[in-house]
Amino acid sequence: MTNGWIDIKNTDMMLIMGGNPAENHPCGFKWAMEAKRNRNAKLISVDPRFTRTSATADLFVQIRAGTDIAFLGGLIRYAIENNRIAKEYLVNYTNAAFIVKEGFKLPEDGLYSGFNASTSAYDKTTWNYQEGGDFSGKTDAAISAHATPAPSHPATPAPPALPPNVAYDLTLQHPRCVFQLMKQQYSRYTPETVERITGIPKDQYLKAVDLFTSVRKDGDMKKVATIIYAVGWTQHTFGTQIIRTAAMIQLLLGNVGRAGGGVNALRGHSNIQGATDMAGLYDSLPGYLKAPVPDDKDLATFLKRTTPTASKPSVWDSMNYYANTPKFMVSLLKSLYGDAATKENGFAFDYFPKAGQDCSWTHIWDDMYNDKIKGMLAFGMNGVMIGPDTNKNINALKKADWLVVGEIYEDETSEFWRAPGITTEEQKNIKTTVYRLPCAGFAEKDGSMTNSARWVTWKYAAVPPPGQARLDQDIIAQIFLRVRDLYKKDGGKFPDPILNLNWAYADAAHPPLSQVAMELNGRALADLKDEATGQVIKAGQQLPGFAWLKDDGTTLCGNWIYSGCWTEAGAQIQRRGTEDPSGMGVFSNWSWSWPANRRVLYNRASCNPDGKPWDPERKQVWWNEAAGKWVGNDVPDFKPDSHPKDHMGPFIMNPEGIGRLFAPIGVLADGPFPEHYEPIESPIKNPLHPDQSNNPLVKKFNTPYDKFGLPEEYSIVCTTYRLTEQYHYWTKNNPMNVQLIPEPFVEIPVELADEKGIRGTDKIKVISARGTYIAKAFVTRRLKPMMIDGKKVYQIGLPIHQGFRGIDEDEGRNARTPANLLTPTVTDPNAHTPESKGFLVKVEKA
Amino acid sequence: MSSEPYLLPNGRVLRYSFRERLVHWLAGVSYVYLLLTGLAFWSPWLFWIAVILGGPTISRELHPWFGLVFVVGVSLMYSMWHRQMKETPADKAWWASIGHYIRNEDDQIPSADRFNPGQKLLFWGFFWNGILLLLSGLILWLPQHISWNLRFLRLAAVFVHPVCALATIALFIIHVYMGTAMERGAFGSVIRGDVSRAWANHHHHTWYEQLLRNSAERK
Amino acid sequence: MSQAATELIRISGHAGVVPGKGLNREFQVCKLVDTTTCIGCKACEVACLEWNGYTFSETTFDNTYQTMPETAWNYWNLIKFNEHERADGTMMLLMRKDQCMHCADPGCLAACPADAAIVQYANGIVDFQEANCIGCGYCMTGCPFNIPKFDPPSRKVFKCTLCNDRVSVGLEPACIKACPTGCLHFGTKSEMKELAETRAEQLRTNSGFQDAGVYDPAGVGGTHVIYVLHDAKNPELYGGLPKDPTIPLSVRLWKGPLKWIGNFGIIFGAVGVFIHYLRFGPKVVKEDEQESHGGTQ
Repeated sequence: MTNGWIDIKNTDMMLIMGGNPAENHPCGFKWAMEAKRNRNAKLISVDPRFTRTSATADLFVQIRAGTDIAFLGGLIRYAIENNRIAKEYLVNYTNAAFIVKEGFKLPEDGLYSGFNASTSAYDKTTWNYQEGGDFSGKTDAAISAHATPAPSHPATPAPPALPPNVAYDLTLQHPRCVFQLMKQQYSRYTPETVERITGIPKDQYLKAVDLFTSVRKDGDMKKVATIIYAVGWTQHTFGTQIIRTAAMIQLLLGNVGRAGGGVNALRGHSNIQGATDMAGLYDSLPGYLKAPVPDDKDLATFLKRTTPTASKPSVWDSMNYYANTPKFMVSLLKSLYGDAATKENGFAFDYFPKAGQDCSWTHIWDDMYNDKIKGMLAFGMNGVMIGPDTNKNINALKKADWLVVGEIYEDETSEFWRAPGITTEEQKNIKTTVYRLPCAGFAEKDGSMTNSARWVTWKYAAVPPPGQARLDQDIIAQIFLRVRDLYKKDGGKFPDPILNLNWAYADAAHPPLSQVAMELNGRALADLKDEATGQVIKAGQQLPGFAWLKDDGTTLCGNWIYSGCWTEAGAQIQRRGTEDPSGMGVFSNWSWSWPANRRVLYNRASCNPDGKPWDPERKQVWWNEAAGKWVGNDVPDFKPDSHPKDHMGPFIMNPEGIGRLFAPIGVLADGPFPEHYEPIESPIKNPLHPDQSNNPLVKKFNTPYDKFGLPEEYSIVCTTYRLTEQYHYWTKNNPMNVQLIPEPFVEIPVELADEKGIRGTDKIKVISARGTYIAKAFVTRRLKPMMIDGKKVYQIGLPIHQGFRGIDEDEGRNARTPANLLTPTVTDPNAHTPESKGFLVKVEKA
Repeated sequence: MSSEPYLLPNGRVLRYSFRERLVHWLAGVSYVYLLLTGLAFWSPWLFWIAVILGGPTISRELHPWFGLVFVVGVSLMYSMWHRQMKETPADKAWWASIGHYIRNEDDQIPSADRFNPGQKLLFWGFFWNGILLLLSGLILWLPQHISWNLRFLRLAAVFVHPVCALATIALFIIHVYMGTAMERGAFGSVIRGDVSRAWANHHHHTWYEQLLRNSAERK
Repeated sequence: MSQAATELIRISGHAGVVPGKGLNREFQVCKLVDTTTCIGCKACEVACLEWNGYTFSETTFDNTYQTMPETAWNYWNLIKFNEHERADGTMMLLMRKDQCMHCADPGCLAACPADAAIVQYANGIVDFQEANCIGCGYCMTGCPFNIPKFDPPSRKVFKCTLCNDRVSVGLEPACIKACPTGCLHFGTKSEMKELAETRAEQLRTNSGFQDAGVYDPAGVGGTHVIYVLHDAKNPELYGGLPKDPTIPLSVRLWKGPLKWIGNFGIIFGAVGVFIHYLRFGPKVVKEDEQESHGGTQ
């Protein structure tokens, strides 16, 4: 979330899409209700199903799963056409005025410039800004003349970089300025085209986009709109681009950085944000530092590659906060390898694993299926159930030598060999050794959880773990200590990273999480002095924040964005202050929010270029001329003393200092602007470019399980979801939840049920190219047939909660089929998230 | 009429056979219980009766079971007596002179068969009210099995049950009064079973005459 | 006995004085259920179950999100889900938390024959005292909302207590505490009524629900659980909320005119036969009149 849960109460308009917070985030959803009650805020729910969120919405439109970019692209078009944009914000806080390199081509045919069909990858050279200066009202020729020509035969092809001096046109008229390109890109997304793709009738669509953009009627900046989403947006082969489209809309309408605005991802588990912050993805390090790759020969090469340099119009200023990457990285290395990380050995950078390949979720299982991965430690998740194509995952586990599962229940992963369809005879031939370790449940362990609003909140154990159950960190510590002993005893190919790992906890076998949190915060390894203020931090003391981090090895910090969470003043994450002087729900003294206890990110953008809030009634931060600094109700997300006239961009984490409408090189794999692609399994060819229907960067695997259905056979669009009453795959073990939702079901439209002669509670089969799911029919009017490009298309939906272990499952009350038997193993090229929403099935009576 | 010798050797007349007396008291005792517990639920001022009878919960529990016993009693009475309880043309005349009956001017009233029209009224009154009490009682017994859609049945039952009960109470008061205080000898007839010839002749002349004729034929 | 006992304003099946009769407390409690902000999360259901210590029961999927068809003796709080298509074709998913309405004029109490099995407190709570319940089930018939439910093994009837145990020590009911969206409110009747009217007005003027309104039915003297409905003209849409609930006519007849007619009849009958005896005495049969009964043949 750029903002936070409570902040939603400050909004005037909510677009909830790709998420169903009323059901999946009921506690946070109270703030949406507060906004409705107290501000008369409007709520627009766009979903394949009429959900319980839709029930509270002012407007609901039913969309075909996987066509969100078409919806949002059309919204961009509508906002521009009807002048419902934040002009001043756009010019000053986004790259709308930046001029894009010549040769850049929009995807009229479905491909951006630079596509290499043989490697299925883009050469992104043209996805860059033009070098130059102020070309407001000037011609192309003038720019070309000014630009430094690229060397025709560079000795070593240097990776393309952003130009330090960007060409720009503040009148936004230049045909290659970002604004004009964006306008051109989405001019194709007319309401008629949107209707063909999404199935939303034109009049309904116009109603929705008119309502949403009404906050910026005639360019008035007072009102604010927020966009709220969850995994309904991420689980697509173009998920990242959907979210980018939302970000673009919010920049276009000037809603980012403002109270009640932003782009707000709702996390599906209590600590998913924390997991992501701590390097949830293989290609990032804690604090979203980039992970090393084999080409990073040493620390210097790595830092050169990953530390950006400012790229901006010369007359503007850019903080380019990631210029501090070396400080963050060296402090991380110090936290990992302690004294073994020295200046001389590049702070033990060589110890770091450097992945040369895609190590994301689906690849792990594919590699296991292909005998490349021999064993797996599975903690805090139920791998068989989570991932796409359950059958493939089960067959992958059959090939593993060993599997360690740390769980509190007998779950499907540890009992994959008992999946339906595996005979007793077959079970005897499964050679995988499964170790199931009883772990502690959430109420049995202390530690911190980071919520969607980036609050890092300490919690206390309520009860001790029962029986032989142990804390996860104790299990991991024991595994580590034993492995280290083995390396000590037997040596090995490269024992150094293991032997030198910094494990300086009070009790090595039971590392207290408070000490881990303190390590994440960081501490001084030598006396530090701030020359400006004269403040001194003594060696061994906790750091007040990441501003103190050094790249010379005198600081240690496990995750730079968490620096400030546990300082010398104590555990900030244990604070429970309920003061809220502004009344805007900032609650600065309640727990602690990364970064630097900021509650709304990019909050400099809540002010106009002169430093005055766009809406004086919702003041977050502002420039105090007398004090010569930024002050406010929230911690300014900005250089505190940067005078507005210096025109420093509010998006300090981007080298440009502005928000990106156009994502230049290195940001995204599949295009600088989002383009609508069809899901891999789709009932139609992409009406925009039938010859390039899907995302060109999507790769398919080659196992017998990776099969795809065609609309001729599988004509129904299916999506999966969660319910309020159940929590993922856990609560099927809890009688209370089972009472509330006793059995798996499939929501199908009345019309489809009539066609197939299915009545409510009849048992039905949902069949995809990969598997069959059996459950009772939930015949409902909340899903309606849609007209997609002239074709009548049904959508159905099924909750994911039930599997083959649980109360009902063990009692034989359901068919024991996991929902992900149906889903395909194809992923988003940026975030590697599988496409679980919007795949094709057929329905039969069971 | 059965071949049972109604004229007893001791000079008395058998008014009610053992079976009839047993059935009478089966219905009678169960009715008294039903009446008492029913009255306890009828008015808070009589709730103490339920307390005396073992507590209100037990009263509530047993009331329907006693109701079934009562219904069995009434059914047996029906099978034994319904032919004799048939209305006859002579009944009209009897009713016409009910004033004489009330005023004990017995010589002014038409002679009665085994059961006089008043007894027939009692019988049919208990019979029909018994059916309604049974039906409404079953609903009141197990209201949880009457679904909300059939709620009108419960609503009807709560009204019908007390109305019918009141009707039987009216009959009961008269019956008890006549059987004990008013008609001397009648009470003995449902205890020992026999009455004097004079009593039989006086109250059920037609019946008595028939007995005599039957007896003569047998001889 | 707690002080609350002196604040009873109505007692079922009771012959004597009611200690709090005529007592008017300044504050009557009220639960406000704003169905327009209910998200059907069932937290109230779970909170109710947990606070009252009931165990889980087996349920069956019934083509709805609704936990069970209606409230149960051990499940006092149930969200009713109803799909509704409006005249303009837009869908609505109406979610209404069903529970005891705590009527000011409670039909259950009127119908109950057992002394003090149902009491009404001065603060408006209608509470079942299971120790006094005789299990007759008349309350189930008297209730216009289908709330009291019978438990066969214990032969007692149970329903929502409005968390009388919590309210009497100054806490809000468990369901209110658990509600995440603020769709449930608890306070005095006047406060809640005002809040509800304000919200209904907001729905009428800002959300296009012209018929939005407050459900506080006069037929049962008003209730201590009130609803804000999008469409107050059609409460039946919300899982069978009666439009104009009253104490059923047959219960009123039974507890009213019939009672007086019956009492009069019984007393009159008993006294009547006694007077008859005094006036006419018994029918005496002279033992010598055998064979001589003339009658009027």
